[in-house]
Amino acid sequence: MYDLQTNLTLDEKLEILADAAKYDVACTSSGVDRAGKEGMLGNSRACGVCHSFAADGRCISLLKILMTNHCTYDCKYCKNRKSNDVPRATFTPDEICQLTVEFYKRNYIEGLFLSSGILQNPDYTMEKICEALRLLRTKYKFNGYIHVKAIPGASQELLYSAGLLADRISINMELPTQESLGKLAPNKTMTNIIKPMNQISSTIANHRLAIGKNARMERAGINDHLVNSIFGKAAMNGQDMIFGENYAEIESSTGGLEELKRDNSKLYLPAERMDLNLKRPFAPAGQSTQMIIGASGESDFDLIRTTQSLYQSFDLKRVFFSGYIPLNEDSNLPALDTPVPLLREHRLYQADWLLRFYGFHAEELLSEEKPNFDNRIDPKCDWALRHLDIFPVEINKASYDTLLRVPGIGPTSVKRIMSARRYGKITFPMLKKMGVVLKRAQYFITCNGQMLYKIPIEERFILNQLTDMERANTIKIEGSNQTATQMNLFTDFGLQTSVG
Amino acid sequence: MTIYSCEHEWEAMLTCIYEAWTSRKGQQNIRLVLEPIEQYTLFDEYIHVDADHEKAVKVMDAINQKISPFFYREIAFCSIAYEPYILDNIFRVLLLGFAYGEQALNMVQYEAVMDNRKIRKRLGMEVEHFKEFIRFHEVAGRYVAHIEPKSKLILTLGHAFMDRMPSEHWMIVDDVHMEAIIHPMNQDYYYRKLNEEELEQLLHTEEANDEYTDMWKTFFDAIAIEQRANYRCQRNLFPIWTRKHVVEFEHN
Repeated sequence: MYDLQTNLTLDEKLEILADAAKYDVACTSSGVDRAGKEGMLGNSRACGVCHSFAADGRCISLLKILMTNHCTYDCKYCKNRKSNDVPRATFTPDEICQLTVEFYKRNYIEGLFLSSGILQNPDYTMEKICEALRLLRTKYKFNGYIHVKAIPGASQELLYSAGLLADRISINMELPTQESLGKLAPNKTMTNIIKPMNQISSTIANHRLAIGKNARMERAGINDHLVNSIFGKAAMNGQDMIFGENYAEIESSTGGLEELKRDNSKLYLPAERMDLNLKRPFAPAGQSTQMIIGASGESDFDLIRTTQSLYQSFDLKRVFFSGYIPLNEDSNLPALDTPVPLLREHRLYQADWLLRFYGFHAEELLSEEKPNFDNRIDPKCDWALRHLDIFPVEINKASYDTLLRVPGIGPTSVKRIMSARRYGKITFPMLKKMGVVLKRAQYFITCNGQMLYKIPIEERFILNQLTDMERANTIKIEGSNQTATQMNLFTDFGLQTSVG
Repeated sequence: MTIYSCEHEWEAMLTCIYEAWTSRKGQQNIRLVLEPIEQYTLFDEYIHVDADHEKAVKVMDAINQKISPFFYREIAFCSIAYEPYILDNIFRVLLLGFAYGEQALNMVQYEAVMDNRKIRKRLGMEVEHFKEFIRFHEVAGRYVAHIEPKSKLILTLGHAFMDRMPSEHWMIVDDVHMEAIIHPMNQDYYYRKLNEEELEQLLHTEEANDEYTDMWKTFFDAIAIEQRANYRCQRNLFPIWTRKHVVEFEHN
């Protein structure tokens, strides 16, 4: 494979390769705190820093580029697939480093996000990626954040190197079942994705244990108060680490992973011995993945259940969802004029937050009978409406996990409520000032035994109230395809004209 | 009512608090305001207070010893906010602090504490915005950035950028409050006030745009997905008033 246009300038290459990388959703620089060092460039903050916001409202935290958009694979949904006629380009390792360092010094970015198409074969591509990262960490003395994509099918030694050089490493799952993967990404197999994911997880865990940390990644502090959360001891069945053993959930959707259980789940030592000498922790910001929404027939329940088991089995730090944007014409894909499923993506992220910060389980939010989220209201309100028996709760007495289940109250408000409760009674005006969204919460709470208004605790009434409020918001996210027309008695209500 | 006024500067503010405290007029009969005062009220007495180092140190010590250093840090941070009522708010919170100790900051039942939290949150966001949205220009191997914040927050940026780029020469200039922090390579940063002449000259550094600035604009345009265009969301997260020196918005 070679560039037909070899005389591209750096600017032109950047345009092609940034454009090719934009469909990847992960652009967070979070998960690791690292102080700057004299002689080096950069630091890292666990909260993440967004340096700009693009015209689509997504944050720009990292220099998100592909190393090359040449690809030997032919995934149906991808813009860079082999059979597409698009301008192609490849960065040299030095060019990647220069761009990163110069952008970083001008405070444009917080680090590098490096992904790539498959150049020749997975090993060759991964080796090139590692070469660029190694150069950045050694010659250019870059100490900022690096997120690297692991190429499915690359050898274990190279993955180890990549993990040592980067802060976060991710493998895109893209589609949650082997069936859809076979249909839409014929060159990828679920085993090729799950196996390295598992190996990376256990290597991260080993490195964490070696430096005296808990094997599992740190989670949001609120989870300490939630015994029944998906990260709690109960959900984990008392097992500390379950890598290489518990594939039950994943397996049900992927199938045929028996050999993985017997497989040694650790990575082999890095290809370059020098990478170990850098004395960097292995992927300190953990591992993430992304799934495409709306390209194949999975239900929300499938997606959110897979998400939960990814968090539990592989200790993933984040699972990202990417609403499918129709780019290619194919009989297996939605038509080109299909709108981007923004609202569905939004609902899935809301559910993902409920899993990670609110102590919910996937099975509480959805079920086989009700496999998709309601478009009209958010998953938390939906849950609350199905459990009206526990409401209203008393703000001045309720426990952490009960308060967190009230719509309109989040982890921050709960912490404020808890600390203010120590010094006196809480009233509705105070709740409002604390940041509680009373327009949702009012139906589910009492302050000192009284509700805000006289409200019947009745599902249909509250649903109507909530959906009425939510409607404008829903249309804003989804975009309204309906056009307003004048109502007509004859066409709309079937009245007959009486002639004569 | 007696109204004490002073300049927006920490030492002067502490002196003003000292004077108000020692006047023994009763807290409900006192108000503290920052200068310049837009319009004087008709029936109140105004007392201007100048900064006095000794009195300021007395207040400083009292807060640190009788309440806590954490409490002192919190209110000192809030003092840079641009809200005109910030001084009065600090005074009210201090009264509560002396009565209840450090935990007064959690007593949101008091309006002053709630107001203080609101200011602190807004100020925290403003500081974060400027940590994120500052854009440096390279001028002969040195990096210069200009900002136009509402609050006098330049000192809160120093540590973050020293940690980020310890081995570069850089400088951040606040065009509104005419002050700057300067960081020589591998050394501590320092603060200085600027005169008009210096500021005039420093403004030219923004003209030094190089190929990387153009490439950044290319990247910024290429990374947005047109099918998902959402300018409203962009404005929410990147308020227009903070875009003044941000290079990627210059061509618009």
